[in-house]
Amino acid sequence: MILIAIILGCVIGALIGINLPMISYTYSGYLAIAIIAALDSVFGGITSTLKKNFDLKIFVSGFFGNAILAMLLTYLGQKLNVDIYLAAIVVFVGRMFNNLGIIRRYYIEKWSFNKEKKEEKEN
Amino acid sequence: MKKKQIAITLGIMCFLLTIAICVQIRTMSSANSTVSKTLSDNGLRDEVLKMKEKYDTTYKDLENAQKELEKVRQEATQNDSTAEAKEQELKENNMILGNTNVTGEGVEIILQDATSTNNSFNLSDQLIHYGDIQWVVNELKNAGAEAIEVNGQRIVNTSAITCEGNIIKINGERIGSPFIIKAIGSKSLLYGALERAGSILDVIRDYGNTAKVTKKDSITVSKYSGVISYEYLKENK
Repeated sequence: MILIAIILGCVIGALIGINLPMISYTYSGYLAIAIIAALDSVFGGITSTLKKNFDLKIFVSGFFGNAILAMLLTYLGQKLNVDIYLAAIVVFVGRMFNNLGIIRRYYIEKWSFNKEKKEEKEN
Repeated sequence: MKKKQIAITLGIMCFLLTIAICVQIRTMSSANSTVSKTLSDNGLRDEVLKMKEKYDTTYKDLENAQKELEKVRQEATQNDSTAEAKEQELKENNMILGNTNVTGEGVEIILQDATSTNNSFNLSDQLIHYGDIQWVVNELKNAGAEAIEVNGQRIVNTSAITCEGNIIKINGERIGSPFIIKAIGSKSLLYGALERAGSILDVIRDYGNTAKVTKKDSITVSKYSGVISYEYLKENK
């Protein structure tokens, strides 16, 4: 169910995104960092769904809040001549790998658990 | 119910995310990224090669046309003594102007940038500069050279030896090290003028660069590849 929703969202998003107008090159850096933040939120959402502690409010606020905060930090970094966005990227990508590891472990455990069960049944 | 809600939210988030990713990808691909830059570089290189090929074929056509003209002239002047004299004069003038390949005794000078780093700290010292070539050409002219060529570029009365950043241009064509200067004239005179103590070649050698002069009994100097044209010149009455 969740998987279908994600795939459907991605396909529709890609179809619409192709036809949307381009943004100017100056702002593409902000959009990029927002994308990383949003990607991190989505992975976090999937992980929390698997852990069964998914909270809609936390998820939505995290999705938009992280993206906006990351963009603001990038802007501030540009004004201060410090590449703050690098810090944001490190944090978000690190968390993404973390969440991906949790998801992977969950499914592998589930798969091996099912296999064991099957073997037990056969015996 | 709760699972449905989660699915819808995640779906919407993914939807927004993919829209943003698509927009970003399209923006970046239209911008001057390194990939598109190399692509446009390749296009420019292709263009240059095409133009060069076109130039070469045109030049060949021109050469053929000149040969044709020569033939026609010969045929026209075969049975006419005054025309023949004119033809002879024309040939001679063309030879002096640099419009034909000429052969005769002379010297060949090879100037080369220093290959190994010597004790000089200044990298500029280890290069042959346009001034060195100018000096050598002047020295040759002073010693009575009748035709001079540098790397295939004939020195005619409109020739300029210029420095364009890190390249040297003669007759508007870029040339590079090693510089092979051929000169027709009295070979001993030219040799003596270049190899005298304190000459420009001595200076060049002092800096660690290579300068070689060889006497030649027969040396061919190629013709001027450009077109000699005058726009403002008028005869004084």
